[in-house]
Amino acid sequence: MSALAVNRGLTALLLALLMVAPWLLAWMESEFWLTVLTEILIWGLFAASANLLFGQVGLLSFGQALYFGFGMYGVAIGIDRFGLGLWPAMGLGVAAAIVMAACAGVVAVRLTWHYFAIITVVFSLIFYFLALRLKPITGGDDGLSFAAPAIMDLGGLRLSLTDDATQYWFVLLIVALAFAVQARLRSSALGRAFAAVREGERKAALLGIDVLRVRWIAFVIAGGLAGLAGALFALYGRYASATHMYYTVSGEAVVWTVLGGAGTLLGPPIGAALLILVREELSGIWEHYPLIVGALTIAVVVFAPKGIAGGWNALLARVTGR
Amino acid sequence: MTNRRSFLQTALAGGAASVFITRDLYAQASGPIVIGHQIELTGGFSSWGYWHDKAAKAAAKLINDGGGIAGRRLDLVTEDSESNPATGARKLRSLVQRNRAAFIQGSVHSGVMLASIPIATELKTVYFSTGEATEATGSRGSRWAFRTGSDTYSLAGAAAPWAFANLGKTWTMIFPDYAWGHSHHQEHKAVIERLGGKVHDPIAVPLDARDLLPYLTRIPQDTEVLFSVFFGAQSVAFYTQAKSMGLERTMKMYSVSGTIEAIAPEDMDGAAEGVTVVENFPRSLAAKDDEFHREHLRLMEVDGVHAREANSRRVYAKSHAWQAWENMFLLKAAVEASGWRTKRDDPALVAALEGMEMPNSLAHPQGAKTLRKQDHSGMVDTYISRVTGNELKPVQKVAKETLATALPPRFDFSTQAL
Repeated sequence: MSALAVNRGLTALLLALLMVAPWLLAWMESEFWLTVLTEILIWGLFAASANLLFGQVGLLSFGQALYFGFGMYGVAIGIDRFGLGLWPAMGLGVAAAIVMAACAGVVAVRLTWHYFAIITVVFSLIFYFLALRLKPITGGDDGLSFAAPAIMDLGGLRLSLTDDATQYWFVLLIVALAFAVQARLRSSALGRAFAAVREGERKAALLGIDVLRVRWIAFVIAGGLAGLAGALFALYGRYASATHMYYTVSGEAVVWTVLGGAGTLLGPPIGAALLILVREELSGIWEHYPLIVGALTIAVVVFAPKGIAGGWNALLARVTGR
Repeated sequence: MTNRRSFLQTALAGGAASVFITRDLYAQASGPIVIGHQIELTGGFSSWGYWHDKAAKAAAKLINDGGGIAGRRLDLVTEDSESNPATGARKLRSLVQRNRAAFIQGSVHSGVMLASIPIATELKTVYFSTGEATEATGSRGSRWAFRTGSDTYSLAGAAAPWAFANLGKTWTMIFPDYAWGHSHHQEHKAVIERLGGKVHDPIAVPLDARDLLPYLTRIPQDTEVLFSVFFGAQSVAFYTQAKSMGLERTMKMYSVSGTIEAIAPEDMDGAAEGVTVVENFPRSLAAKDDEFHREHLRLMEVDGVHAREANSRRVYAKSHAWQAWENMFLLKAAVEASGWRTKRDDPALVAALEGMEMPNSLAHPQGAKTLRKQDHSGMVDTYISRVTGNELKPVQKVAKETLATALPPRFDFSTQAL
């Protein structure tokens, strides 16, 4: 059996387990973990946006929280201020993130390495402080809280986020679709162009690839993914806050990506899952738990530099001989 | 922490469990009653959080030593909000869904509190706010949200008329740029303007600002009363920098208790001297000298003058943390009065809380009070004190009856369906 077949089998098994998780956790009397699992899915999608830039195009961004924040505020403002339903509010959040990424990307993709990282932080900080100051719109330091509208309301059939299982399946559906699109993207001509730019922009340019355009497209897609994650997180928490636009939140996505395996499809959500589970277990016991999270991250980076998924792939290749 | 189960433990336990296990996990009519405490153990409010934690634990011990709640042990489960609204909201879910908390003693951080109320309402769980932003029992309130202590509406209604008459008619307000500060500004401005005073444009200071001079220089020269609302390190920065500018020589300094909460005037080298403070629970034992107050201070291990902890330099965040103590006893009284046994009995418990009277006692050392039925707000005695010789000395007391008359309810949650 090839490594690809093993990974496909495991992915199908994971998806099957995720689909039945609400029943499984209810049977285990552990419903609380369903909300944690929902959060992991959302943060996994957010980590995927950092991974798309870093793992696929070679651009290390510490600014993905900006687009996450736009997604959050799009939903919160759409619902709380404009009285929109769930789907239009989500559309507003994702559209706002894409437009912001498209504008910021025009400047950012002209830079590489630490210059690129710095400009993404700068953009993030500008809008973070702006969000704090624009209290009438964003709620300032308090953020915006709201009651989530129904997912669907067709006469007798009403699906609401207030039911944890419904909320979970709603998030799972959207996140699974987003990852399916990413998988398709990786095998497309555009995905190969991403890889070519990552491996060497000069060589890519000699092959006729418009490097700046490819980077900009990746930047906008990554912004859209982060915006989608932010929109989902706002609906999940019924809350939007400028604190989620801070560059340290972007840093978490980078840590999850590196820990899980940069450049792999499912590595970033695996990294996010691991650290969120560690946080859930430790935060109630010791309030300085980030120290342990930091030590764990350093250990993985030192002993498995390609991350968990990278290490797994290397092991699998050795076992299957491919 | 009690009643925590790790993921692996629950997975193993669940695997061994029968599929016929009851699905209604809240339907335990016996055994301990779990009360969740959402608290600021780290972050900006940690100097207060220490006292909320200590007060709740001391009250829980007292209740359990006295036979528990309706004969059942009280299990107090604490989660740290990290003084962050998003984390606080997540920890609230953890308390209710993971730790099976039946009731929540909530945050003193207004942002955490306001982010939590929609979730508590959605989870149909009684939530006691401890912060002062009036929205918690106002525009963002619900039938599941209560507040035993003061809010910005009641503090303004109780003390602003006195301050207007005794300190001055032209006001400037300086406060942190978040809900608590803005809420104080709106409520005080309404009272002062109604009385015929003048209120200058507010000065909202970013939460992370430590150098306040750029903001203090914006205070208009004709200001008679400088009303300040800060907390923690920003309070110390405000008092010391205002003193260095000599502001107290041209205007009267007036603050709510939060600004000097958990801070001893003697630790600021006289920077707070002469400041008038509105207190919810007076720091000085002399302001309310009775056996219940004395015993409460003994159990909290603090003195009756500075409210300083016996074995440390910490100062009791008394004007807010008393709610963490009293709400434990209030919930005990509501459970026993309503015959509450499981979550299914919550409607009866909510009805019992609405309008509940609390007598001056060890359970309620702050004093007698009423949890008003309509707006779920505590009607409490309010105290006005002044820093004199590095001590908070009582100046005036505003009785809860006066407060209730002056402040009609603006919201009626009691008609909402549960």
